[in-house]
Amino acid sequence: MNVLKVSKLTIALFVLPCLLLYVCLVFVPIIVSLYTSTLEWNGIGESKFIGLDNFNKLLFHDAVFWPAVRHTLMFAVFSMLEIPIALFVAILLSRFVKKPNFLVSSYFMPVILSVVIIGQLWKTIYNPASMGGMLNQVLDWVGLGSWSQQWLTDPDIAMYSLYFVALWQYLGYHTLIQFTGIQNIPSDIYEAAKIDGAEGLKADWHITLPMNVPIFKISIVLAFIGSLQSFDMIMVMTGGGPGNATDVIATHMYRMSILSMKYGYGSAIAAILVVVCLVATVVINYGFNRLERKYT
Amino acid sequence: MAKMNMKSVLGLVLAGSLAISLTACGSKNNNEGNANAEASNNAGATNAATEKPASNEKVTITFQNIYPDPTDPKNQMMAKIVKQYETDHPNVKIELDSLNTDQQKQKLKTQAASKEVPDITVVNPAAQMQPYVDAKLFAPLNDMVEQNGLKDTFQDGVLDFYTFDNNLYALPDGNNIGVVYYNKDLFQQAGITKTPETFEEMIEDVKTLKAKGIQPMAIGEKDTWTGSFLFMNILLRTNGGPGFLSDVVAGKKTFEDPAFVEAVDAMQNLIQAGAFQEGVTSFDYNAGENIFKTGKAAMYYMGSWATGGIETSEALKDKVGVFKFPTVNGKGDPNQFMLAPGSAFAISADSKHLQETKDFLNYFMLNFPKEAFAVKGAVGIAQKVDGDFKAAGYSDMAISVLDLFKEVKGGDLSFDNTMNPGTSQGHLTSIQNIFVQKKDSAEVAKEHQSAFESNK
Repeated sequence: MNVLKVSKLTIALFVLPCLLLYVCLVFVPIIVSLYTSTLEWNGIGESKFIGLDNFNKLLFHDAVFWPAVRHTLMFAVFSMLEIPIALFVAILLSRFVKKPNFLVSSYFMPVILSVVIIGQLWKTIYNPASMGGMLNQVLDWVGLGSWSQQWLTDPDIAMYSLYFVALWQYLGYHTLIQFTGIQNIPSDIYEAAKIDGAEGLKADWHITLPMNVPIFKISIVLAFIGSLQSFDMIMVMTGGGPGNATDVIATHMYRMSILSMKYGYGSAIAAILVVVCLVATVVINYGFNRLERKYT
Repeated sequence: MAKMNMKSVLGLVLAGSLAISLTACGSKNNNEGNANAEASNNAGATNAATEKPASNEKVTITFQNIYPDPTDPKNQMMAKIVKQYETDHPNVKIELDSLNTDQQKQKLKTQAASKEVPDITVVNPAAQMQPYVDAKLFAPLNDMVEQNGLKDTFQDGVLDFYTFDNNLYALPDGNNIGVVYYNKDLFQQAGITKTPETFEEMIEDVKTLKAKGIQPMAIGEKDTWTGSFLFMNILLRTNGGPGFLSDVVAGKKTFEDPAFVEAVDAMQNLIQAGAFQEGVTSFDYNAGENIFKTGKAAMYYMGSWATGGIETSEALKDKVGVFKFPTVNGKGDPNQFMLAPGSAFAISADSKHLQETKDFLNYFMLNFPKEAFAVKGAVGIAQKVDGDFKAAGYSDMAISVLDLFKEVKGGDLSFDNTMNPGTSQGHLTSIQNIFVQKKDSAEVAKEHQSAFESNK
């Protein structure tokens, strides 16, 4: 801090606007929704304080909530499993492709597109063949007609179809992050390893992976938190249906607070989501800190 | 060089990700905070608009409405009436707040949360406006509707849906019924000569159409109310008449009543016969209606508000007819319809110029039928219309819809207009579910009952 040669007061002054904004837009609403989660309130009229009843109902008597939690956590697991693949793609790119930037940017394309567009696009791809669905038609052409499915409307499959779209969209994003991380590993380390006889994938195993751990962590945290919040894509493609087959925590919260007009109950779901977010972030950080200490 | 580039990209990505992770947990909870902030902004705006009457008796009335599209005849009609009124009453200024339906619903909810409802706003009938009435946000219009004979311009009984404890709180702009539209050409291709009079005939027709490779029915079940509307018409038949849901509310019946289970059975029969397009739950309302409008499906069950859109569709020119929803297992009266009283204008109880606002709305509604007739928007309005529709250039289909209106002998409201929002959501997802998998009908009934009990 002393290196900066500015007084602490100045620092505080410059941090203040952002801090205020952050407190107003994030902290205060969290506190307010913690309070409303103890109310029975339709968002318009009188509210009634009911203590922890909403949580009791939510955790023990809500047939939709736990499946929604399961869908959300599965979502998180799948998106985290994607990161090693992204890392692998990044390694291949940096090792075997002459001018990798073009490829990296093309993989990144879906991230720039609006989720609504992606949702509509994949809805059309997933449509039944009779409604012009591309995927089923392709399966038909190559003689795998028996594999064709009601991708978005079969309750057993719909959720996986949604996971896949999210994975497809974000592969490029994580590849970019990992790729950048790999580019930043100094080349003299590889050269030294080459003299010692470690080349190719062996060098990757002993150098790239350990040195890339901090970047790996960023991707994991982003993937995890991103999937906890997944909402827009699901609303566009299935709206949580058929039935509740593709409801996640966020869509359940929306349905409860906006459509069912149970604001207090919705806030309780939001509160749980906050807790899950916090706990997960702490756990992931702790795990990676140990890894980092081991390798760096 | 490339490395430098990648470094700055990484910098950006990191900065971005920091921002995302900082707001990550919080963003979903901002709803209320933002909502409140927005509400108070709106409040500021309405106050500024209404708080100036002191000098010269200048009066500004805020008129929130759902006719935002300048190419829509209703918008032009509204502008015309408003302009006329302002000319006649130089001291009154009508400020239009024109929003599309969803925006208006959201805005009113936030305004209501801070008790800053605009002078005139738009609400939906019965159960959907109940929370606002309970919160005492609207002024009773009993006296106003008697002035200038306004009450008599409305169709019999339609105002009941906006009346609570003998107080009338809103005046509707529409009143529709559920009908089955059918494509005459496709019926002919399948060799079907007459429209079905029983549900069993309808299922037979579905099978005949299907065998000929014609899509029998279309629906947009991603928007769950569409399937619910159809299902409720079946229930209206199996129950032998209207009032099933109010009996449930009153505790006289439960959802496990035989009439309800029978209705679920009938609905499942229709679905299992292959009536609806594949992937039905991923089609929203517009996409579902488009299948019919492009001439790709033979039948379409919908409220009569769809008449305008179907009429103007190129693919269906003069090919569409309508018929009443048939009897189910010989039960019910085809002249009882699903009733869809429309959105309605209500006046804020806290309006600064209550009397002036009432006078204006009175004038507006008195002129509504005449002007709507003139712009060919008079099919399915809530008021009586004098005039020769045929001579005014309305299509044959529009006229046959109007003829159905004359035969209406009561009926039921949609589920979400009758039950509280929580129960309605349970119902909507439960019905959507039977579109994709066959279920035990008693099980479906049980789901309804438990949704009802947990939302009492």
